[in-house]
Amino acid sequence: MMAVRRAVDTFAEWREAARELLVHGIPPEQVTWSAPHMDDLLAGGDLFTGAPPAAEASDNPSIPPPPTEPPDEPLRPAPHIPRSLMEMLQAAACCRVPDRWAFLYRVIWRWQQGEHDVQSPADEDGARLHAMVKAVHREEHDMHAYIRFRERPEEAGPPRFVAWYEPRHDVLPQVAEHFVSRMGKVSWMIATPEASVLWDGHTLHNTGPLVRDAADLEDTGEALWLTYYRSVFNPARLNTDVMHQHIPSHRWKNLPEAKIVPQMVSEAALGARKVGQYEAVGQRKGTTIPIAPDDAQPERQQPSKLDECRRCELWQFATQAVGGEGPKRAKIMFVGEQPGDQEDLAGQPFVGPAGKLLDRVCEAAGVDRDTIYVTNAVKHFKWEPRGKRRLHKTPVQREIEACHYWLDKELASVKPTVVVALGATALKSVLRTANVTLKDSLGKPLRHEGRWVVTTYHPSYVLRVPGEEAKRAAFNTMVEGLKLAHDLLHRPTETPDA
Amino acid sequence: MELKDKLEILADAAKYDASCASSGAPKRDSVDKDGLGATNGMGICHSYTPDGRCVSLLKILLTNFCVYDCQYCVNRRTSNVPRARFSVDEVVKLTHDFYLRNYIDGLFLSSGIIQSSDYTMEQLVDVARRLREDHQFRGYIHLKTIPDADPRLIELAGRYADRLSVNIELPTQDSVTKLAPEKSVHTIKLAMGSIRARLDEKDDHPKAPVFAPAGQSTQMIVGADASDDRTILHTAQTLYGSYKLKRVYYSAFSPIPQSPSSVPSAPPPLLREHRLYQADFLLRGYGFTAKELMPAAGNLALDIDPKLGWALANRAHFPLDLNRADESMIARVPGIGLRTAKRLIDLRRLRRIRWEDLSRLRCSLKKLAPFVITADYKPAQGAASSDLLRRNLADAPRQMNLWPELQAA
Repeated sequence: MMAVRRAVDTFAEWREAARELLVHGIPPEQVTWSAPHMDDLLAGGDLFTGAPPAAEASDNPSIPPPPTEPPDEPLRPAPHIPRSLMEMLQAAACCRVPDRWAFLYRVIWRWQQGEHDVQSPADEDGARLHAMVKAVHREEHDMHAYIRFRERPEEAGPPRFVAWYEPRHDVLPQVAEHFVSRMGKVSWMIATPEASVLWDGHTLHNTGPLVRDAADLEDTGEALWLTYYRSVFNPARLNTDVMHQHIPSHRWKNLPEAKIVPQMVSEAALGARKVGQYEAVGQRKGTTIPIAPDDAQPERQQPSKLDECRRCELWQFATQAVGGEGPKRAKIMFVGEQPGDQEDLAGQPFVGPAGKLLDRVCEAAGVDRDTIYVTNAVKHFKWEPRGKRRLHKTPVQREIEACHYWLDKELASVKPTVVVALGATALKSVLRTANVTLKDSLGKPLRHEGRWVVTTYHPSYVLRVPGEEAKRAAFNTMVEGLKLAHDLLHRPTETPDA
Repeated sequence: MELKDKLEILADAAKYDASCASSGAPKRDSVDKDGLGATNGMGICHSYTPDGRCVSLLKILLTNFCVYDCQYCVNRRTSNVPRARFSVDEVVKLTHDFYLRNYIDGLFLSSGIIQSSDYTMEQLVDVARRLREDHQFRGYIHLKTIPDADPRLIELAGRYADRLSVNIELPTQDSVTKLAPEKSVHTIKLAMGSIRARLDEKDDHPKAPVFAPAGQSTQMIVGADASDDRTILHTAQTLYGSYKLKRVYYSAFSPIPQSPSSVPSAPPPLLREHRLYQADFLLRGYGFTAKELMPAAGNLALDIDPKLGWALANRAHFPLDLNRADESMIARVPGIGLRTAKRLIDLRRLRRIRWEDLSRLRCSLKKLAPFVITADYKPAQGAASSDLLRRNLADAPRQMNLWPELQAA
């Protein structure tokens, strides 16, 4: 068995090395990985004073000799690694654990051997891989969130804003990108114990480790932030567990607001038996607004009488009631079923897809839609939730009956000669009976309460029925129905009532 | 009045508002551009206050002068509170300065109603316009819209803001009439409807001008009226379905100084708010309906989470064989979330699921044990009564511990 040594410091170097090892078929047990630069950092160097690492890593004589040549074996094809896994490996490589390179090689080796569940968090290595990725992402997130810039005086030149941070993993490069996109042409610097980056407004510069003083400045902006932080806190809801759960304790020491937290907590606790914010509010002179209630009420769209209808429960779930629309003395009245999703928002009948189809029917029948009064049997949209959408639900007889009140008013005021019932619900409503079917009434005009009633499909049926043939037939039925309604306008009305 | 004093008053007034999200905005950045700001769609919480709420936006009122008399609001016209008003410039500068220091992701601007709804709305829009146009600010902007305002102003607000919100405040029309006499559910729904209509229009015509790309949200106050959780969840469901809301925020009522007698003098348990958020998440993410979660009148149980409550009430679905069930059903098992359900389905393509997998996936084993079957596990409690299971699985009674500091005082 040949032992192989590899020294890598970056993911790119590891990737090269791992590829070569895989091609030569060298199992993880035979590889010893070292990370010259990082080992030094972890071993020596005080993170808090920011003292530079002991010596130039690659020249250190204690580092093992360069890797021995891999044994002569038939070469395997370079592995194909899916992008999702490669991204995880790359993220995990930022995790500061001593055996990171060895671990990553074991993962990729197992994948190469066909053990694809190595990528699943249900696998032991997979679980660790996921945990490492998570730790790195968390660190990136924390750094995005908890870096605090302080402003330097303008005359001091760039960088205008400086921040100090102590990252636990190697995420500075990606975090710097985040701030590049955020800050535009404003110059800034982030200092950490291991490395620092400077953005001059156009280019990123990597510089060496810095000490914290670099970012310890007076900044008057910070006082405003503390004021804000103190003021948005609601002492009546004191719940420090959640606060600590979200900002881990090691982060607090570099957050300016941390200094005022203990005082805020103790004040809240002391005043807890009173209403939390009473004291703060009571300290200042207050003002009530001298205005009469009637004047405070602004003009706005008042609900119509129809909107105030509570004859059934449907109003609760609808935006508004949708009444009829059309000439006040129209000869033909269309009665649909109920407003749909679009109609409910717009407050007008037949403005959605069904309305568009109705327009086409009118056109095909040669009837001017503007001469027709259009309304619905039920005035509020009835629906049930389907995911995030509203799914039309057919109204029940009780609801149809409750809404007669409004349809009767419309019939009485418009006095149409012909009522066209669009679909079964409309038919039941117009004839005031549940014992009637659409099929039996199609194309057969009836006399009812001194009016002609023509039955045809609801336009939604035409839109919904499967098959081009059936669609066309249904459309034609509607056109015929409308033509019939139009003809009936001129027919003598002596026929006995149905 | 100094800026600091105004900030104290006008941030104080915003602390009753639960929403602070800055997610859902389209990706923007300021690389090589004048101005400032980026959004990556995710939103970042930049700090947490000791009440456990996050700070992701500069959340302030433009003014807390208000001609309305909403009983639950500290700034109602009859309330004797210190009043202040920011100038448009001051809000713009504060947002800018806070953003540069990485305290915030953007601005959440709301306002008391002064002079008229239209006047107030114009001021709010003006702040957003100045930030976007004069200062090329690309951070997040959330505007609270005044429902009575001219729809043209709301349309303009949507041009500049990432998110718009119209607060419904209370779950029923009766409560609104009683506690917020100047507001009306009718107008609120119409305003939400007009925003949704604009959002639809934008979806249908992608080249139309930008309109509130992060959608709309609303807020409901819990515990200021007698509405139960069932009513609240049904209202939330109605709002989600009707107006494509991104979020409904629930805010436990905080008793306020010199509180009118029409509102309670004690807050509801914060845990109730928490349970509502959990239930809300089940509505949005898991395909539950309000009726399933709350078949009868009343409040959500405080001792168990709503998903466990549903599972205990619907034992016929369980135990569920994780090697056969579909993803949406797996996600309904207590202790298994959406992501774990997906991971189990992925894993199932490779091999059969075993008990150990659940442990590695960091599921809540105690919670799911009575409800699942795996290749090597069948629950022993299969026949145990739901009452017994509930006693075993409930959180230890600990509501009082929600405020350990209060206990200590």
